[in-house]
Amino acid sequence: MSIEFAPKTREGRMVYVLIPLLLLHLALISLQIEDPAGTILLKKAVFLVSAPFFNLSAGFSRGTRYLWQNYVWLRNVRQENAQLKDAVQQLSLREKALVQAQEENARLQRLLALTPTLPVQGLAAHVVGRAPSYLSNVLYVDRGSSSGVRVDSPVLTGDGVIGRVILTSPHNSQVQLITNPDASIGVLVERTRSPGVLKGSGNPVLSLNYIGNAEQIEAGDPVVSSGLDGIYPKGLPVGRVTESYKGKSVFRVIQVAPHADLLRIEEVLILPGPVKKE
Amino acid sequence: MKYLVLAVSAFLAIVAQMIAGNNFFLFNFLDLSLVLIAYWAIYRNRIQALFVGSLAGLMLDAVLGWPLGFNGFGKTLAAFTIGQVAKHFNVEAAWIRFIMIAGSSCLSSLSMFALWALLARPSSSLFLGASVVQAIITGAAGSLIFALMDLYAQTHVKKAS
Repeated sequence: MSIEFAPKTREGRMVYVLIPLLLLHLALISLQIEDPAGTILLKKAVFLVSAPFFNLSAGFSRGTRYLWQNYVWLRNVRQENAQLKDAVQQLSLREKALVQAQEENARLQRLLALTPTLPVQGLAAHVVGRAPSYLSNVLYVDRGSSSGVRVDSPVLTGDGVIGRVILTSPHNSQVQLITNPDASIGVLVERTRSPGVLKGSGNPVLSLNYIGNAEQIEAGDPVVSSGLDGIYPKGLPVGRVTESYKGKSVFRVIQVAPHADLLRIEEVLILPGPVKKE
Repeated sequence: MKYLVLAVSAFLAIVAQMIAGNNFFLFNFLDLSLVLIAYWAIYRNRIQALFVGSLAGLMLDAVLGWPLGFNGFGKTLAAFTIGQVAKHFNVEAAWIRFIMIAGSSCLSSLSMFALWALLARPSSSLFLGASVVQAIITGAAGSLIFALMDLYAQTHVKKAS
């Protein structure tokens, strides 16, 4: 038998509350569809209030992992091998630290390898949160406006473009991934130099639009940013064509898989400020 | 004060879900805000549950980077459905609660999918399949949480008497 935790208050007719609430949401959606470029106050407020929680959670998570890997795990080793206790502890600690440093070093080197080709100095940032969805296509990073990050700043990994900043607070930013249904990038197919627009749909693959049926695009062709959108610098790797065939209209149907593994991003490089068209 | 509690609880549910989802992938399929809505509709007040659904949905839209209103619409509809089921049926059995929560989760997802399609926005083909998984996980988690709450309350009442 269930037990009530609080007494139920007198209830009016639910429909009288339901209908205005649903109409309110529909009105909200309509307003935004008409004017998608406007900044929405509630989005900004929720982001500002929730951003510190992501930093806290990321810190707690890192701390717990550090304690587990460098203290608890070593205690188990010590119990198994009491005579070599000190040596194992020291060596394991150093080994773990070295492996982590090497992995981080490799990731950062891949990021740095991109920087000579970039028009502005990149800013390294850690991913501290993801939007709560199985189709998450929004990330939160630990760099914000106080570090020079601005709305529309391009965001990259060592593998290539992953998205752009859509909201900032002093110490955090919200990043819209290229797979987001609202995201699009001006791109070129590198081999044929055919320009097109890469559009997200919420799926892991992106659709490459506005390339004519006459173009000879094949699976495996690399796709790079064209720089024509005024946000992403020209020539950055974006993805690879996975499927290409003639469409019913004048344009080909082309699918592109991003180079970057968008589910496993830990560090990113932000280019402060949108890159203007040359 | 009542409405402040309502707003704070909706906010905390979303933050908790984000933190859990960031650390354990499976938690991305758990809709904690829907569990909160169901709690409000079953144990507290069905009208207030509509406001919880509305507010939680708006906050979800904000953190997901979606246009505000999609989740708000879906969650309000889910709150109404749960409220009506709780009003007309005996929802003390765990399996009924499971069906009620999973069903309202599906309804919420479907309404968002329909809105998305009506506005001719690109939608993911994964959406419907993932929504079913989300409904099952959320239904199971919600029924379990409510069963534990009932058990705790029963023990508490027995001790007091």
